[in-house]
Amino acid sequence: MTFVVTDNCIRCKYMDCVEVCPVDCFYEGDNMLVINPDECIDCGVCEPECPAEAIFPDTQPGLEDWVKLNGQYAAVWPNITIKRDAPDDAKAFDGVANKLEQYFSANPGQGD
Amino acid sequence: MMSATTKLDHVSEHGIKLLVDGFYAKVRRDPELAPIFLRAIPGDWGPHLNKMYAFWSSVMLTSGRYKGNPVVKHMAIPNIKPALFERWLALFNETSTELFDDAVSAEFQVRAARIAESLQLALFYRPDRPWPPQAAT
Repeated sequence: MTFVVTDNCIRCKYMDCVEVCPVDCFYEGDNMLVINPDECIDCGVCEPECPAEAIFPDTQPGLEDWVKLNGQYAAVWPNITIKRDAPDDAKAFDGVANKLEQYFSANPGQGD
Repeated sequence: MMSATTKLDHVSEHGIKLLVDGFYAKVRRDPELAPIFLRAIPGDWGPHLNKMYAFWSSVMLTSGRYKGNPVVKHMAIPNIKPALFERWLALFNETSTELFDDAVSAEFQVRAARIAESLQLALFYRPDRPWPPQAAT
């Protein structure tokens, strides 16, 4: 089992999660983060830290596509363990619906 | 033996140290786990205990004190098998119940069980075999 990052991370990318993760399993895209399911130990520390409430356990129904997306991009995006500032407009995008279709970028982020 | 009234009612660095010390004292006396751990840590246990204080501090107090890759560490252990995780959890649950009140020990135990499950998935899960692993195998 693993935790997964979902829609509301996109363009919010607050990154509070990366500081508390004991196993450094976050990977950074251009405008969101993902969790590497092979490294996550399911400790759950990140879930309440996310200001956007975008992190869920994969045991929650309906997250199959996000589990796949997390695994797929964790393999190609750089590891991120040190928090940087969120985008200036993060707050404006917090809670916007269906960000995946509208805003998701497959490009890698800068990483540590 | 601690009486119920002296049990710790919150998580602290001090409580974590007591838990880790008590737990690994049991591990070192356990016929199943001792050989595995003594092989992995043949000398000074200080560094391992410090790492475990930091790990549980990160998990229970979100202190970010531990940074590591426990999946890789466990993969390197020869003869690791699901029954050892069961034994580990039994001793961990015993120790946490002795030290903490019901609510706090439950918090530790829920986390420990999830982490143990997730490490086992990483180590033993194969798409073509049943999960959880059969007790006899």
